[in-house]
Amino acid sequence: MELRTKEMLMSMGLYSLLTMVVYFVALSQAGAGFDVRDIAAGLLWLAFIFTSMLGLNRSLVHEKDQGCLEALLLSPVDRPVIFFAKVIGNLIFLLIVEALTLPVFAFLFLQGEALSSGALLLVPLVLIAGSVGIAGVGTLLATMSVNTSGKDFVLAMLFIPLMYPLLLGAVTATGAAIAGGPEAMSAFWTGMAWVVGYDVIMLLASYGLYEFIVGA
Amino acid sequence: MQSGIRRATIALVVGGVLTLVAFIGTFFWAAVPNFGFVRVPEQVESVRYVGPFQQEVDEPRYLTSYVDHTVTVVADGEEYEGRLVEVSEESIVIATDTGDAGAPQTTIDAADFESATVTGFEYGRADWGQKIFYFHVPVAEISFLVFGFAAFYSLRFIMTRKREYDMKARISMEVTLTFVTLTMITGILWTKAAWGVWWDWEPRLTTYFILTLLVVAYFVLRNAVEDEERRALYAAAFCILAFVDVPISFFITRLIPSNHPVIERGGLEGPMLVTFIVAQIGMIALGYAIYQLRMGEMLLKDRLETAKTRLEG
Repeated sequence: MELRTKEMLMSMGLYSLLTMVVYFVALSQAGAGFDVRDIAAGLLWLAFIFTSMLGLNRSLVHEKDQGCLEALLLSPVDRPVIFFAKVIGNLIFLLIVEALTLPVFAFLFLQGEALSSGALLLVPLVLIAGSVGIAGVGTLLATMSVNTSGKDFVLAMLFIPLMYPLLLGAVTATGAAIAGGPEAMSAFWTGMAWVVGYDVIMLLASYGLYEFIVGA
Repeated sequence: MQSGIRRATIALVVGGVLTLVAFIGTFFWAAVPNFGFVRVPEQVESVRYVGPFQQEVDEPRYLTSYVDHTVTVVADGEEYEGRLVEVSEESIVIATDTGDAGAPQTTIDAADFESATVTGFEYGRADWGQKIFYFHVPVAEISFLVFGFAAFYSLRFIMTRKREYDMKARISMEVTLTFVTLTMITGILWTKAAWGVWWDWEPRLTTYFILTLLVVAYFVLRNAVEDEERRALYAAAFCILAFVDVPISFFITRLIPSNHPVIERGGLEGPMLVTFIVAQIGMIALGYAIYQLRMGEMLLKDRLETAKTRLEG
């Protein structure tokens, strides 16, 4: 377990670092008037969503390969408990990776300049709320996709469209927090409302459906 | 099963007739709203006549669109009245005696121009592109409705584990895919006509695009699972999750500012409303017919399989 944790963190962290390299190449053509802070929220969530997909896939592929999930199902533990344990596990991974990615992003693209004058302290709030939704729905979908042919593609196909409302809200809220100002604050809370509403609905739905999915 | 085919045939006929009626109603009966106006110098016979207009112009370059109209130009303190013949950057030419081709012409230096008053007649411009409304909206609403049925059958399947509900859910999703495709085609045509672009990342269009992706993803998922029981369960679970996008897509135009038009309560009247309802019922009947036909086909296939196994066994 210890070994796997390290391996997962390493691969997810490196993956997000590689994403930063790709961003650098993509943004190298931008003109002088371009300010990376304008699209920082979108870039960050793009990195998170792809990294989370990698992590979700890996977290269940291992279990399936080594028969862990069967063992868990045989053990006298309620299935909702298994679901929440997996969600929390994925959530912790995701939060660690996000915490690592943020400073790397700031270091590579802002070169010591302040990210913004806005309410940066609110950004972790969005990250946590968004990650809960990603981990909740992601766990359910990954449980499904590990049993399909073409695991990664199926997960992406199911995951990204379903994530759209959450992503929209999270990017809006993060962007507003970076921009700052009273107008941005109302946008921030609208975005947060989207994210939290999505979290509640989707977590409940995933929780209800997990029991049927995992047994199949 | 025989009754299923009979119902499908009836629905097909009813739907076909109603759609045809709606088609005729759309083109010959329902009113076409105006969008914008056309201004012409002389009155012509038209149902879309609005009335005379009078327009104040304070810069000579705006006069270019009013050639042949009757104008009164104030230049250098003097007033000139007549038919506008030509406008260029240097000068404005007016035929002072209106109506006569060989009338004496006055040339005014554009630098002296102070103001002008243009008069003529105004006509409403029919927005023919709006006709697609009678097909686009019913088709889109039915795509939402059938998705609802698919989610309902998926839920029933998860609760009862009966194979028939899985089949119903799958066929509903197929019908949804048909209607989603139709909505996309009619919508894209309308966007090009009304907004001048094929696609715009606007709330309703974006959420509907996501809906399309979800419907496609449903079939990707089905094709990726080997085991039949598992495939049915996974597909049902995904269908229920994906259904969350339907209310979002439906209500988003009412929640956040969007370019996509919304029908307001009481916004449709008379022939427009009747045509719309006829089209709506016709489309429902067609959707039901497609559903029943597919259902009949599936049941037939099932029977064939059973017969085959029995023959072999």
